[in-house]
Amino acid sequence: MSFQILLNIFLAFLLMFLTSNYSPSGFVIGYLLGLLSIIALRRFFKYRLYIGRVWAVILLIFLFIKELILANISVLVLVLRPKLEMQPAFFKYDTELKEEWEITLLSSLITLTPGTVVVHVSDDNKSLFIHVIDSNDINETIDSIKNSFEKAILEVSRS
Amino acid sequence: MKVNNVILQFTAKIVFFIIFFFAIHIFFAGHYTPGGGFVGGLVTASAIVLLIIAFDLNTVQRLLPINYVYLVAIGLILALGTAAISMFVDQPFFTHFFDYFYLPLFGKTSLHTAALFDLGVYLVVVGVTMTIIQTIGDDE
Repeated sequence: MSFQILLNIFLAFLLMFLTSNYSPSGFVIGYLLGLLSIIALRRFFKYRLYIGRVWAVILLIFLFIKELILANISVLVLVLRPKLEMQPAFFKYDTELKEEWEITLLSSLITLTPGTVVVHVSDDNKSLFIHVIDSNDINETIDSIKNSFEKAILEVSRS
Repeated sequence: MKVNNVILQFTAKIVFFIIFFFAIHIFFAGHYTPGGGFVGGLVTASAIVLLIIAFDLNTVQRLLPINYVYLVAIGLILALGTAAISMFVDQPFFTHFFDYFYLPLFGKTSLHTAALFDLGVYLVVVGVTMTIIQTIGDDE
């Protein structure tokens, strides 16, 4: 992936030297043309195109904004209830993610969506310990994390 | 009792660069806008302290093998030397000079000897803060 970005920047400079247009606009034109040629030759690369990863990152950002709003509304509903019927609990969540940055990102996303807080990462980085504000639907919480955040992060890191 | 600090360590690695760049920006902004050597030095020291909190003292010592006492000395010499330059050209002590130069990449830049004095202040502040923290942290 980094090789493709480097190649794209080299192609942009190549076009700048060929057209002797040393301005930012020349760089942008060269970059876009290089991107087109890289997409045309996508079969020769060992890994998938980096533009797909960029798209996955953008999707992840929008997913996070959506989840943040939804989870905040659910916590608002909890707070405004006259009777507190919630059951706080800790549970263990086994993750498939391996890399340090993936685990950090997943933990940050879980913590920033209200109702769940990551309190500890196990020593082998295989499971997160999460505090949940309402344990009546733990399985639902686990499923939502697995199907939204973890899937999106795996989509970003898929080579 | 060793706790797995993967989140703190990874975040510290990234945030260190942001804090350090902000410190450089504050240092150079000091002439016309709030900022300067003192604040820049403190922010730089806080970036190193963040690394010390996330990892440990010996790891950071191996990363940045700087003798901070020497850093204080270099900063003091720089500040004093900048102040003493004017005495050699029959001006009073601490007279600053500035002029406009055409540098490649930057264009027309005004270079002022006060920036060198500020660099001395910066080095002294970083050195003193880190010396204090290391001396306290080393005590077992």
